Amino acid sequence: MIRNGFLILLLLTLFSVFYFSLQDLAEFGKNSAQYFLDHGLEETGSNNLVTSILLDYRLFDSLFEAGILLIAVSGIIWISKHEIEEKNAEFMIDKFKTPDLFVTFSRLVYPLMLAFGFYIIINGHVSPGGGFQGGAIVATAILILYYIDAEKETNIKMIVTIEKYLYLTILVIASLSFFTRGTFFTNIFDPNTFDTGTQSIYLIVLNVLVGFKVALGLWTIFTAFLKEGR
Amino acid sequence: MDPLLTFIVILVGMYGLSTSKNIIKSVFSVTIMESGVILLFLNLGNLEGGSIPIITQASEIIADPLPQALMITTIVIGSTVTALALMLCIKVFHHYGTVEWREILRRGGGK
Repeated sequence: MIRNGFLILLLLTLFSVFYFSLQDLAEFGKNSAQYFLDHGLEETGSNNLVTSILLDYRLFDSLFEAGILLIAVSGIIWISKHEIEEKNAEFMIDKFKTPDLFVTFSRLVYPLMLAFGFYIIINGHVSPGGGFQGGAIVATAILILYYIDAEKETNIKMIVTIEKYLYLTILVIASLSFFTRGTFFTNIFDPNTFDTGTQSIYLIVLNVLVGFKVALGLWTIFTAFLKEGR
Repeated sequence: MDPLLTFIVILVGMYGLSTSKNIIKSVFSVTIMESGVILLFLNLGNLEGGSIPIITQASEIIADPLPQALMITTIVIGSTVTALALMLCIKVFHHYGTVEWREILRRGGGK
């Protein structure tokens, strides 16, 4: 009881610290939003300003975000290594216990989800979405496959290898701007000489690569969990 | 929504982290704290009467896209960290046969 009261006192102290630190943040965001609204489209060729930040202004951040995803996937594979390498590892999903209605409905929804995910990825520079969000949707669509066909085997090693090469491709494409513009990690096409339509080619290519990488990463994580939880 | 409410979400996560006796509940508490941080950042970037940060003909005031781009990073990293923690939790369960903190300590964990 005393310990609990002490804890609540500590949390209240933290709350007051938060409260007083908030007083300085009143003007946060007003200037940067105006800057992105004025210059975002011309400088990056992306209508969606979040994509313009993710794939142009702060591409360095996004690269290592994708890198952390790769590292986490590798860590999960390594932790659950012994179980996955066993032969005849059976999946947790039992085909005979899954309701028929669910299986039928999954078959119906699966292509729609896949198409929606690809739409989100490819249209990431115009409408809400992008590589990371669309990749998550595609991964969810792939996971539904396990309900349709419970005996489906997944070659995890191959998926992780593809993911590594995709990450290297993303790094190479992001660095290509050094040869065309003289700076690392920005759009290949110079905004002064190319129009926004040409610039968006780069955004689409990078969005597709990031989307596939995220989808493969999440697929690997899910498969590792399925094989672990026998 | 007031940013102070998001602090309460973070503090709820902290309280859960310090009082939970189960590993999975601790992982959930970390996730709750993370949701509080995400809500806080999205709050701070939101301007009065601002629309979504996508340039159209009509847009004059937009929400700040910078916190939103940062929060995508947080969401992706948070999900992977949660997955890693849960996988470790499965390993702990295979090794000790329980996911209660005290029970693991009693069975010789942490030595």
